[in-house]
Amino acid sequence: MAAINLNLEQFNEMAAGTKPVLVDFWAPWCGHCRRLAPAYEQIADKYGEELVVAKVNVDEVPQLAKDAKVTSIPTLVLYKEGKMVDSVVGPGSKAAIEQFIQGALAK
Amino acid sequence: MGERPVYDMIVVGGGPAGYTAALYAARAGLTTLVLEKLSAGGQMALTEQIDNYPGFEEGIDGFTLAEQMQRQAETFGAATEYAEVERLDLTASPKVLHTSEGVFYARTVAFATGANPRELGLPDEAALVGRGVAYCAACDGMRYKDKTVVVVGGGNSAAADALILSRIAKKVILVHRRDALRATKVYHEPLMKTQNLEFRWNSTVSALLHGEELTGVRLKDTVTGAETDLACDAVFVSIGRKPATELVEGQLELDRSGYIMADETTRTNIPGVFAVGDVRTKPLRQVVTAVADGAVAVHMAEEYLAGGA
Repeated sequence: MAAINLNLEQFNEMAAGTKPVLVDFWAPWCGHCRRLAPAYEQIADKYGEELVVAKVNVDEVPQLAKDAKVTSIPTLVLYKEGKMVDSVVGPGSKAAIEQFIQGALAK
Repeated sequence: MGERPVYDMIVVGGGPAGYTAALYAARAGLTTLVLEKLSAGGQMALTEQIDNYPGFEEGIDGFTLAEQMQRQAETFGAATEYAEVERLDLTASPKVLHTSEGVFYARTVAFATGANPRELGLPDEAALVGRGVAYCAACDGMRYKDKTVVVVGGGNSAAADALILSRIAKKVILVHRRDALRATKVYHEPLMKTQNLEFRWNSTVSALLHGEELTGVRLKDTVTGAETDLACDAVFVSIGRKPATELVEGQLELDRSGYIMADETTRTNIPGVFAVGDVRTKPLRQVVTAVADGAVAVHMAEEYLAGGA
């Protein structure tokens, strides 16, 4: 399952659901964000059952980025029951993303 | 996890050198796997525009070129695993690579881990990355539109970064530890002509001033030793690169800067292990010299494999 790009309304809908939501805050002009994308797609495949694996374009949904205090992209944020649980700035490997997910889910 | 096959070649690192080795290896009929921790391209993927790679008269962005190199290698049968290598045993037979995705085995290894920007080595530097500390003007410059930024360094990349940032930021301050630039002449005139660029010669950054975000830097005069604080919104560190060779320390011979010792054959001190691209000792580190290494390494690997390894 590919990572889905959310607008604010879709995010609110997903966040209200039972599955935790993982969001990759990104922008098309951000080189580091593009680098994260291939690994992130594999994460979406692997964790699609447990998580909503999503992306939010910070230029299109600035409010959400502001609420999550995202000052640098890419940043991954994990939400449980609509609340932000943890975040990580610019993970450097697929392994680092998985570590973040495991840690955040355990919180 | 079932027993994995022994690959003829495992390439560590999916930059231009790595994927060219994979392309040549796959086309030579070798079973080939690339281990890449994040995504294809390495440093090249963060280069917005590459104008000196022959064949692209309009230039090409590094990320796209990287994706194309990956797909080209994969078209001929090379595979990619997004795995971070944690430990290797290069003298074992077959060679053993422990990774975040389990253990892999190979008859030959092409080491293509490249280089990363050198850090200032100051307290809180890592924590401030993305909060005012940056290493790539082309990547992060846009965030500091109409702000004041410091560039540290005096070489070509520092000069290029200062010019990029001068078009975005309100003010750029170039901090260099010597009293003149090391950058090649072509940069001098454009830099001198830039209105919103200021130089701080004979200075090093001795501390990063910050709350949640960077608020300034402390500069130390290399002649008098006096320290002064300078307010800024970001510091771009452009003081060279360091090779990613921690993994092979103690196994492969490295030069004083940490690059893997290998000549134009790309052969290292361990038979069947090749160093390709920026990670190898060489006079010029460019995409074109990296891809050449990839091709040579496969030629040498075939020779090695034919020798009965």
